[in-house]
Order: sequence, then structure tokens, then C-alpha cells
Amino acid sequence: MATVTLKDIRLQAYTLDTMPLLRQLRDECVNAKAEVCIERARHITEYLRDKSTDNDPIETRYAGAVAHFLSNKSPLFFDDNLLSGTTTTRHFGAPVYPELTGMTIWPELDTISTRNKNPQKLTAEDAKTLNFEIFPYWMRRNILEYARLKIKDPEWMKKNMPDYIHAEGPANCLQLFERLVFFIAGKAGCISHTVPSYRKVLERGLGGIIAEAAEMEARLRADGRLVKENADKIEFYRAVQMALSGINIYAKNLSQKAAELALIEKDPWRRENLTRMSAVCSVVPEKPARNLREAVNCIWLIQTAIHAENINMAMSPGRLDQILYPYYRKDIDEGNITVRDALEIIGCLWLKLNDNTNLVPETAEELYGGAGTVPAVTIGGVDEDGEDAVNDLTYIMLRVTELLRTRDPSMNARYHYLKNSRQYRDRVAEVIVNTGCVPAFHNDVIDIEVLKNQGMTEEHARDYAIIGCVELASGGRSYDASSSIMLNLVSVLELALYNGRRPVTGDDVITKAFGDPARCRGFEDFRDLFEKQLRYIIDEAVKLNNILGRAYQEIMPSPLLSAFFEGPMDRGRDLIHGGALYNSSGATHIGFADTVDSLSAIQQAVFEEKRFSFDELIEALKADFKGHEKMQAYLMNRMPKYGAEAPVDSASTQPVSVGNAAYLTGLLFHICQGHENYRGGRYKPAYWTMTNHAGQGKMSGALPNGRHAGKAFASGITPVSGATRDLAVCLKAVGGLKGIYIPGGEAFNLKYPFVDINDAGDMDRFGSAVEAYFRYGGLHIQFNIMSYEMLLEARAHPEQYQELLVRVSGYSAYFRDLNDAMKDEIITRTAYDLGSGRAEPFPESITPPNLPLP
Amino acid sequence: MLEKILNFIFLRPFRAGRAMKRFVAHMEGELSDEFLETLLGLMGLVFCLSPEFRRNIEGFSGIYVFRTRDGAVAASAVFSNGRLKKCDKAVAGADIEITFRDGRTLMDFFFAPKPDVLTAMLKQDITLNGNLNYLYKFAYTANHLRLKVRELLG
Repeated sequence: MATVTLKDIRLQAYTLDTMPLLRQLRDECVNAKAEVCIERARHITEYLRDKSTDNDPIETRYAGAVAHFLSNKSPLFFDDNLLSGTTTTRHFGAPVYPELTGMTIWPELDTISTRNKNPQKLTAEDAKTLNFEIFPYWMRRNILEYARLKIKDPEWMKKNMPDYIHAEGPANCLQLFERLVFFIAGKAGCISHTVPSYRKVLERGLGGIIAEAAEMEARLRADGRLVKENADKIEFYRAVQMALSGINIYAKNLSQKAAELALIEKDPWRRENLTRMSAVCSVVPEKPARNLREAVNCIWLIQTAIHAENINMAMSPGRLDQILYPYYRKDIDEGNITVRDALEIIGCLWLKLNDNTNLVPETAEELYGGAGTVPAVTIGGVDEDGEDAVNDLTYIMLRVTELLRTRDPSMNARYHYLKNSRQYRDRVAEVIVNTGCVPAFHNDVIDIEVLKNQGMTEEHARDYAIIGCVELASGGRSYDASSSIMLNLVSVLELALYNGRRPVTGDDVITKAFGDPARCRGFEDFRDLFEKQLRYIIDEAVKLNNILGRAYQEIMPSPLLSAFFEGPMDRGRDLIHGGALYNSSGATHIGFADTVDSLSAIQQAVFEEKRFSFDELIEALKADFKGHEKMQAYLMNRMPKYGAEAPVDSASTQPVSVGNAAYLTGLLFHICQGHENYRGGRYKPAYWTMTNHAGQGKMSGALPNGRHAGKAFASGITPVSGATRDLAVCLKAVGGLKGIYIPGGEAFNLKYPFVDINDAGDMDRFGSAVEAYFRYGGLHIQFNIMSYEMLLEARAHPEQYQELLVRVSGYSAYFRDLNDAMKDEIITRTAYDLGSGRAEPFPESITPPNLPLP
Repeated sequence: MLEKILNFIFLRPFRAGRAMKRFVAHMEGELSDEFLETLLGLMGLVFCLSPEFRRNIEGFSGIYVFRTRDGAVAASAVFSNGRLKKCDKAVAGADIEITFRDGRTLMDFFFAPKPDVLTAMLKQDITLNGNLNYLYKFAYTANHLRLKVRELLG
């Protein structure tokens, strides 16, 4: 039940001037330069190579490696943060995961420190260690290579994936993936992407969880039945104990180091802080947390420990305002802390969440440029009983977000328009205006129904939290692997247009020649070709994901992470083996709006109006509309556009774009949900794109919606820029998509050039538009409050906009860190005047991606 | 000591100097069908002459096949026993086969300021069959060689 006791929910008395510690830490954070850290890679490799063998049981072997690292992890204190623990040995570190993406930087070892785009400093000594000692061990052992070898092993395929042995050959899926322009197999780089639960460790301490695992192990041993299932469970419980013990050792080392530093520290404040940190780490996480500071530090230590085992991508802390509230409440009621203290502690956690970034090769910076690790924090919404859950901490976290304006955590505000107060809604809107872009809004009414439709109980669905960008999870209950597949819908469209080929892949027939579209007698025939190509690509993407999943089961379990979920401890089964209560895999789609608009153009221009033949259309596309400018203008300006037509009540007379958008979301839902993953769960379609819509756009040819070759696609589920001039219609069109067909989440990006925070009318319009959109049925909405002119200025003079934060497509990034294509994409997103609800005209200097060239 | 004697007998320093000149010409844009042979040849010689560079292939064995789609270029690099042996045809049992769009793409890949595997895959300039990690290692070695040559040339 909501409990708001703050006199001023805006907490205006608290600023960075009145909290100089946060100002100091924030400045250090924002100015920190990324450095590669090899500590984890070194210890994990050392253990697996020198202290264990390939014949050891994998759960305990991997747990042993993680515990070995944690036990030897350097206890470091870089700054005056109130919390102990660091993700890496660097102030702002990029850890190496050689078993996953780490090998991709091998070519760059000599140049990563000085590359143009987002350099990451690597010492010469560490480069040598990676080159000579670490990477060679993993050459045949990283997850992608392991999976490739298994695909080539007929006995393994027959035993594990018998359904995938067919005429085309199981390696087809891998070859498609390696083209990189059809789909990305997320597991080649990570699973992570989930929301663990910290409640158990806060309430019982790791000691309690270790004792539970020990008891489960003892029971099974006493059982005496020599069955494989028991042996697997025993091994799992042993692995949990080993891994969690490593965390305790790390905490003790931190405690000891802090005490040693306190002894020699001359500054009284620092001495006191070190002493307190030492005391905190002597308690948590081994024992239950007793107060807010211990609880927050416990959560932070667990977060760093999880990254010892799982890559730092979208490992999301969840509903922290709910989880931490009991500790806050007790401390405040007993007079142990003030609101200011709580702000500082939460602020310190926010800054700690920024202490690491992803290690990626330079090209990946082009595709995903500027992203942090996207640990999502979720606030607000309703509780498990369906009642208003907003509390003091919700507003404290909003204020901290407003003051700090850091890239991470990715902040998400749940809003239930029937249960949460308008006061809360409007406060979230204020923070968005003041920060320019955060947090995102999520629709509790629809999201809960979406999750229930996926088989969740109502209580679990109500307790949902956001993963990474926008994906939906029930924290500590669902294992979602939400980035398993990133599928390029435009590639499918092109395969249909060119009968199994794509311009970027030349003459190779990639899939199958299902039919020449020029022979289609009606739009239904073309949609049939499109569907065949779509099913083909999805089948291959699912196949590869399931093979990779099976590979993870064999060599890369997650006993440490499993300890923080309901299910694994009861079942004695690692998350990777389906131990969670709910299992699924996420399949997100890139190029949704461009695909819908292209289908609509084909339907109307080719088949209904018969204005152009298919051959004429293909000729124009191949020429990138050179010599076909009139056709392009017609396709751009006269064809139905997703977002520009609102749904009508009658299903039989829906506007063309509404019909095609509904068709595509429905089709993807049924195809994806018809596939089962390696953990017995379903595939959940989603529409978030990170920066893939820009990267994949570069690789794609001209499209029937009039888009030029090489231009960025629209982001997430957002309509194509310039397509829709009316905000209300846009909100109805996007909100009108059937929410239960989007169980993986969506990213809807909107831009307002200006919102006057002092104008009650503007703020009311802001909040009301969000509410209207949610009532139409939209799942998610996020904003950039910035004008075309300001963004153009930031592009031209980045030195003046070093801290400009923008919402990309589900995550925040510093504008300066984005590649040029992404900057242009954000600049040219349609901006709507909040007062009139009309799209602002583009400045003369802008040519949006899909407007005809002058 | 034996290594030094062999280097002298086989005129490796002299041959490396000539190979380096050809290598530099390719780095500066001169395309010829022999540039891959130049790269592999220079690499092989430098492995013999430089213990520091040779460390990169100590204990390493691997077979690489490089080819262009039109078949104009095909070469293999066989690493074993701390040596690189080059062949002017595809060798069986490759750990990785890398097929380049054409000769120019192949040269641009290896003589670019930094060999970018992922960009080459994205642009469909290369297709792969085999262990991608082998390509990463080779790209590092080629880039390392290129930087060393630039360093030597000042």
C-alpha cells in the first residue's frame, strides 16, 4: 500500500549544492575514461586452465572458477562513495569475458586505447597477458566456437537437437548469423538480461542461503538413491554454496581493507566513512541487512558478484523502491537516518551502477554505440495486491535521478492510471522534462495483462520489473534471456522482394526462392511470400538460439545467479536448465515501421491502385530511386503510413497501415510463441532496437515506403520520422497495437522540442498524453525533450554538450558517444509541439532519412 | 644460436627487407595478386627473425585458407612448430576459411589502419567457415606486424 510521508515529493531542498558528496562523485563519474580490466578474465582462466579439468562436473567447476575470482578480487576504494565494492579494478572499467565477447577485441589490442570511437584504455602489459595467456585458452572454448563444434558433431546433434537435422544442414543457422544482417544471436555474446531478486539475501543473508543449499544437499545424500537427477541436484547445491562463499570472502576482504585504510587516513570524514564501510561489509552480505545502508551495500555487492559469473549487460536490480522500503522506513522512524542521508545512499548506488561499461570492438560501437550496461531500476506502479505502491523511496529515487542525470541506471517508472496518483504521474513527467529524457513510462494496466497472458499469476505479474531496455520480467521469478534474438524485419522484406536474396548479400540465394513477387496476383500472394521468408528466418534464429542454449547448459551454468531466483533452490536446478518459475526467450524486431509502411505501399500502389507494377518498383529500388523520383515522392507522400492512421472501431474497415501493423504484430506473436526454447519456455516477440535500426539501416537497400538505401530505420515501435504529423493520431495508432502480442516489450520514442515546466497547462498536457496513450493500450513511452536546433548544435559542437543525455531506444546514452548515424536518427525524429499536437517542421538544414532528396 | 645460423644461411634478413618493401607498397595502395603472398611471406620471415614476434605462434597450430570469390586468389597459411608455412592454394583441414569479395577487399582488410573483422562481415566483404577466433588472432598478428613495420620505417 502506498505510503508517502514526504512533505515535499519534489525534495526541492536537496540539491547537489546541499549534497556536495554527490556532486563530487557525479563529476568524477561523468568525466571518467573507460579502461579495460582483465582481472576477472585472468582468474577465471587460471582456474579453469590450471586448477580444474574438462572432465570435472561443470556446475561445481564453474562455481569454483567464480569463487576463485571473488576470493582473489582486489578490494579497492577509488573515491569517497559510501558503498564498498567495485565491478572491476578500474574506476570506470570494462571487464573482459573471453568466454563470450572478449575475443572480439583481439585484433584491436594494440589500438583499442586510441581508437576514434569510445576508446578504452588497455595497458601494454594487460594486452600481452590477453594475447599470450588468456585468449589462447579460449580459442576453442568460447561459447560460439563451442556451439559451432557441436553443430558439426552429428552424434551431439542427434542426441540433443534431433529436430534440427534436415536437408539444409544444421550449420545453416550459424552461417546466416555470421552474415550479421539477418539476425543477431544474442547468446553468442551474453544471456544476462534478467532481474534477480535481492529480498532473500537481504532477509536471510548469504549465510542463510548457503545453509539452505547445504541442507538440500544433505537431504539428497541421505536419500541414497543413485539416480542421475539426484546427482545433478547435489552438484547444483554444492555449486551454489561454493559460489556464494566466494562473495562472502570478497566482502570480508573489503571490510579488512577498509579498516586498514581507515587506520592510516588523516581526513576525519574519510576515516569515518572507511570505518563505517568496514563495519557494513563485516555484516553484509553474509548476514541479513539491518538498515538502509547495509541493505543498499548488500545489493551492490551482489550486483558485482553476479557480474563475476554473468556479463555486465542488462543485469537489472528491479523494484528497488519496494525492496528497500522496509529498511528506509525503519531507519527514518527510528531516527537513524534523515531523508538527506537516504538521498545520499541511493545516489551513491546510482553512481556505483555507472562504474562499469561493456567491452566491445569498435564496430560494435557503431551498432550499439554509447550504451552503458543498462541495469534497469523500476519504480512505482502497483504492489502484488494491485494497490498503489508508490512510497517515499519512489520520490527519493526520482529526485536522485533528476539531480545526477547519469547514463545508468536505466530508470523506468511504472504507472497505473487507475491506482497511482496523478501527483506521481506528473512528478515523473517533471523529472523527464528536467533531465531531458528519463525515466521511461510503463503502463501497468497493459503490462500486467500481457504477463498474465504469458502464464504468470496475477501477483507475480503485478510485481513486474523492467530488464535493460524495456523488457518485462517478474523479478527473481522469470528467466527471460530477453536479448536472445534481434531480428531484422527489413531483411525479410528484402528476401521477399528479391526472391530469397538481399542487395547487400549480392547474388547469393540466402533462404529459398519461394516465388517471384512480380507474379503475385494480389497483395495476399505477396504477404504469403513475406510470411514464408519470415518463418524461414525465425526458424533458423530459434534453432541457433536453442543450440547455443544447450551449449550454455554444458559449459556455462549460473549457480551464483540461480541462488537469487525462486525455483532453482526448490528444484535443485540451475536457471540455465529451466530452474526458474517462468522461462522464456526474447526475440526483438528491427525495422517494424519501415516494414509495415512498405507492405502498405505495395498493397496500395501496386495492387489496389495498380499505379506501378512490381517490376517497376523493383527497378526503382535497385536504382535507389535515381531516375524514379516521382515514384519515390508518391510512395513517400501518398501512401498509408503507420502512425498517421488511427484504428477505427470496425475490424473490417481498418485503414491500410493499421491493418498491416496488426497483421505483422499478430503474425510475429503466433510464430514466436509457436516455438519452444531449450528451457521449455516460449519466445516472446518485442520491438526494441538499441541502435541496430541505424546499423542495420546502413546495410539495407531502398524500400517501397520511399526510404533511401543506407538510411536508418525507425527505432523500436516508433513510426517512421516525418510519417505522422498529428500527435493524437500517432498515439492512437501505436497504442492501438494489441498489447498481448508484444510480451517482450516495446520502445516507443517521442520527442517534444520544449515543455515549460512552470506552465501547469504544459505539464498537464504532458501527463495527459501519456495517460491517453496508455488508455489506448500502449505499453511503454519515453521521451527526448529537445529541439532539432539544439541537437544540431550538439552535433556541431560536442564540446559544449558533453553531458547531454538522450534516450536512444530503450536506454540512455550521452549524445557525444553516439555514432553519426545514430545522432542523425535522433535529430530527425519527429518533434511534436505539445500545445498544438502537430509535428514541428524540420529545419531547412535537415533532410530526414525518408524525405525525397531535393 | 642455431636459429641465427639458419637465418644467415637462408638470407632471411635480406629477404625480409625485400618483403618489407613490397609490403609497404601494398600498404600504400598498390594492388597485385601477390599481396597476400607478400603478407604471409613477410610474416613468416619476421617469425623467424624476431623471438618476440615468434612468441605469438609458440605452441600454436592452425590452418588458414584465404580466397576470393572469383578464385583469383587462394592461399593458405599453416602454423605449426613455431613456424608459418605458406601455400599458394587451399589446404585441406582448415581451421578457418575466409572468402573475400575480391582482391581489393582482401587487401583493404589487411592493410586498413586496423583490420576490422566485424565491419567486413557486416558489409559482406568476407564470409567465413570455421573458428572465428582464429581470424581474430590472425588479424591481431597482421595488425601487430603492420604497426611494427611502420615503427621500423619511422
